[in-house]
Amino acid sequence: MSERQTGLGRIIIAVYGVFALSASARAGYQIATDFGEAPVAYLLSALAAVVYIVATLALASKKPGSWALSTGAVVFELVGVLVVGVLSFAVPQLFAHPAVWSHFGNGYGYIPLLLPVLGLWWLFRHRPAEPAGRAGQAAPDRSEEAGA
Amino acid sequence: MIASGFFIAGAVVCLASLVISVVATIVRQYPDDVAILSVAAVELFLIVYSIAAAARQIGGEPIVGEAWEFWGYVLTALIVPVVAFWWAVTDKTRWSNLVLAAVGATVFVMLVRMEQIWQGGVFA
Repeated sequence: MSERQTGLGRIIIAVYGVFALSASARAGYQIATDFGEAPVAYLLSALAAVVYIVATLALASKKPGSWALSTGAVVFELVGVLVVGVLSFAVPQLFAHPAVWSHFGNGYGYIPLLLPVLGLWWLFRHRPAEPAGRAGQAAPDRSEEAGA
Repeated sequence: MIASGFFIAGAVVCLASLVISVVATIVRQYPDDVAILSVAAVELFLIVYSIAAAARQIGGEPIVGEAWEFWGYVLTALIVPVVAFWWAVTDKTRWSNLVLAAVGATVFVMLVRMEQIWQGGVFA
């Protein structure tokens, strides 16, 4: 059950944690100082921060249902990056100032675009064997670290 | 100036640690001893670097940039190898080697910033 949270999984959780912190700090600073400059971009930064926080906590959690919540948050993140990325090119006037997800996260080395793909791949390799709730410790992970 | 000799030494140690740890990620299924030692070498370099920097500053050699920013980088960099070591101790998988690899890359970038702050302006 904890296979999901070791090895590469632990690295993924840590990267999500770093993004949760930095996106929160950045969104908070932007909204506090010059919200009027690009309100849409800054609100989307705040949304990104919330999604990263939820994803970090869900990925790190071992409770039943945390897999589903993780997957939901990461899918939301992927859709968010794609939609905001397209919007930032299509309607640039809404994004006078860069936000976390604008231009597909190029300000963060495109990690915001790659991270959800890596996260989804990892989650689907480590999905619970049975529907959440019952599985308990009887859920063997299908993948071995050695095979990665 | 904190002598580019320090920068060269630090760059060599960081890049060697990065290469060793990346190779270890590929060939080992557990945290590699040499990779851990290479991260210890990075920490040792940082300790020597910070003592030398303190000595130079006390000796009257000023930092061109902001002193608090320089020491902020030094203290943060000193924590990085420790965190990675703790990571490798608590996660006995192949992927701890990748975390160890991140130390060399991170400290190298921070070292460039330290040199920039110390000398003022863009590092040549």
